[in-house]
Amino acid sequence: MSAAPMSELPLAGIRVLELGYGIAAPVAARNLAQFGADVVRVESLRRPDSLRLGGAGWLPPNVDASVRRDTLPALNFSSAEKRSIGLEIDSEDGRAVFDRMVAAVDVVITNMSERALTELRLRYDDLRVLKPDLVHVTLPAFGSEGPYRMYRTWGHNLSAASGVDSLIGWPDREPVQIGFAYPDFVSAQAATVAVLAALRRRKATGQGAHLELWQYAMTLSCLGPAIVAAQLAGRAPSALGNRDADCAPQGVYPARGTERWVAVSVPDDATWDALCRVPGLEHLGSDARFGSLQDRCADHDALDDELAAWTVERTDWEAAAELQSFGVAAAPVLDSWDLVADPQLAARDFFHALPHARFRRDLVFGQAVRLSETPPRAERAAPAFGEHSRDVLRDLAGLDDTAIDALVDAGVVHVMEHDDVALERPYLHWLRKLQRLLPWGTPSFDPATELMHQLADAPEPPE
Amino acid sequence: MTGMTGLSLLGDVRVLDLAGEATAQAGRLLADLGADVVLVEAPRDSPARRRAPLATTPSGDVVSAHFAYTAAGKRSVTVDLANARGQALFRQLVGASDVLLTDAAVGEMEALGLGYEALHAHHPGLVYTSLTPFGLTGPRRRWRGSDLVGWATSGAMPSIGDADRAPLAPGGGLAHTAGALNASMGIVAALMVRDDTGIGQLVDISMQEATMSVAMEVSPMVVLEGGFDQHRTGRRKEGGPLGHYATRDGAVSIVAYMPEHWRILAEWVHEETGVDEILAEEFAGTPVTRSPYSELIDLWIEGLTTRYTKQAFFEEAQRRGITVAPVNSASDVLDDVHLQATAGWTAYEGPGMGTLHVPTPPFHIDGSTATVGDVPALGEHNREVFVGLLGLGDQDLQRLQRDGVI
Repeated sequence: MSAAPMSELPLAGIRVLELGYGIAAPVAARNLAQFGADVVRVESLRRPDSLRLGGAGWLPPNVDASVRRDTLPALNFSSAEKRSIGLEIDSEDGRAVFDRMVAAVDVVITNMSERALTELRLRYDDLRVLKPDLVHVTLPAFGSEGPYRMYRTWGHNLSAASGVDSLIGWPDREPVQIGFAYPDFVSAQAATVAVLAALRRRKATGQGAHLELWQYAMTLSCLGPAIVAAQLAGRAPSALGNRDADCAPQGVYPARGTERWVAVSVPDDATWDALCRVPGLEHLGSDARFGSLQDRCADHDALDDELAAWTVERTDWEAAAELQSFGVAAAPVLDSWDLVADPQLAARDFFHALPHARFRRDLVFGQAVRLSETPPRAERAAPAFGEHSRDVLRDLAGLDDTAIDALVDAGVVHVMEHDDVALERPYLHWLRKLQRLLPWGTPSFDPATELMHQLADAPEPPE
Repeated sequence: MTGMTGLSLLGDVRVLDLAGEATAQAGRLLADLGADVVLVEAPRDSPARRRAPLATTPSGDVVSAHFAYTAAGKRSVTVDLANARGQALFRQLVGASDVLLTDAAVGEMEALGLGYEALHAHHPGLVYTSLTPFGLTGPRRRWRGSDLVGWATSGAMPSIGDADRAPLAPGGGLAHTAGALNASMGIVAALMVRDDTGIGQLVDISMQEATMSVAMEVSPMVVLEGGFDQHRTGRRKEGGPLGHYATRDGAVSIVAYMPEHWRILAEWVHEETGVDEILAEEFAGTPVTRSPYSELIDLWIEGLTTRYTKQAFFEEAQRRGITVAPVNSASDVLDDVHLQATAGWTAYEGPGMGTLHVPTPPFHIDGSTATVGDVPALGEHNREVFVGLLGLGDQDLQRLQRDGVI
């Protein structure tokens, strides 16, 4: 973990209620938690988060849902650093408790559908009466107005609709799908920026904020340059494989081994000259076919063959390191295993093995925002469902144990069940062995093995 | 704070944007939220104005679509940072600003005497924001990068593309955008700390980590546990329907992951195309149960989708409650009825480019949306900034101009 911060974290003292589903609102709220806010997920069994529906693939089928719902690894990127309360806010008693919590917090953030926001009375005007300077954040997929406002989507649908997918593919084939929820993640990040800015204003003026982040518009704005290019050219840019217009050579080339690849970008003449100094590629410099950038763009296929013949003789790391030593942008195409073993990420302490109520410790993605004086928090993995229900009701709603017991008995509040059931992900030891097969292990320090030791051998986290 | 005047959440913040490629969208986003973003460009030939994607205007000029989008709403000054007088002027500019935004390679700013240590000593309140391919520390800190290298090191590429060819990166500069978004988060978080302490800090963003931050579904454990399939299956995932399906005029994206969505879709196929077998119990449930029958399922689904245009299928599917959207190009979106009905486009004049339509920024705050300002000409705001803000005299300005410093 990073050194103790010199200042308080940016959001120290800020309290957030999150009613999040899937990725967009949960990831935004997790950012706020990493920046120091006390973030409470308000979770429901009647309207469960999709990430609470499944569970770890290796769990036997007879494991109870009350344990299963704490085990999906994706919860660690969506909800690490948060607390969780199980609360049914569509019951009278649950709503009364929820309203008291709203009055005690600074931010409410949700990506519920427009339909659900109305049904559950969670709109800005519903909640600001409880807390006049509330920062209220929603992330509608298409927006809170317009013909599509009630439409349902997943991230995959939004990336298709906004044009992201149209720019992925080979020129001789149909576009492919991006395969993960890029729109959700960029929307989460833009929402985080807006919440931070709104909290900053609130500190200066006392004014709350009614904030909507429209995810479709956000994804479109990521493609702003491509949309402008389409207008100026009078036609849509199409997918170019791994090439860019006005840049050659650029591509992903085969390296030695199965499914090993190296990415190379040569955007300008200076980089081209550097490439032509690399041993084994010097002949390219005198090849008349590749004299100018224009020539290289025109004869890109031949150029690709030349580069591929060179890369395939080397491992992905050898090829990338050699090209980089001459000043050419290149890197191996990393898969998820390579990330855990990556010495660059390890040197920057990117992955963390953090306390988890079911797993003792679990593997958690770090925060890409590095602040020199106030490093983001990395203290705990995702909460179990209802793990902090009692604490939260005491802290935010001012309830005593008798009142809390009554709510639990009535099924309005859920607490973590079977908290004596501790699990271990069964592949930790296998992963540790597998490390020896990975390409970049060094005898002195193997980051992945180090992490797995932390995961498997760590003492019980403090209560 | 309300009304039709756009957003001013960051109205008290001045950002010096060194006009890098990777950081361009960060400056644009901060400008959308009301910050005064000042591009600092090279006096004669600014690389930012020749950056791809390029396009040829009706009058035959080659212009940068990248600049036309990302520079909107920013001011432009010119300073030659390789020149000692330029560096002194730049330090003055830093003294009058809150944030510095740069994607200079490790050591480049230090070589000019404009690194974090030097500027922090000169102006302790400065939030110094660096976006580099791999961050300012670690064994690869000096490696060069590109948008493609960002994707290559994110872990995401092995899952994108077709099984019989190399992995694919998304186009459109989306890794840079991820870096820019992370930089923006860091900037506002650091400003909050500075509001309390008066002290700025170093925001160190790695493109690799930032690209990972928008692809966290491709995390090692998620893949291991079957939550994400790290194989390239092209347009569709197995079992499905999860992916692109042909219509009469393009494709639609269907995500029938939830059992309920499959049921509705199967009944719709049956109703319109008469296929009885699709209603069979063995196909019900989530995509896993259907994966042995992928080819058959795809055939049945396209039997339905090809009866429609993509927009008609999208609207009918949504009416029935299924998560579907059209696969649009960067031109198709201009005709989208929803965007037209919701002021989804903002128009402005691109210099020499005529009227451009760009997506209206996604922030709706207290009932207002961001307005988008003009694209500045090179050095358009030299006088405004150097005389108006820094208090230089007209003669100073002329001398700097004559000597090529600005």
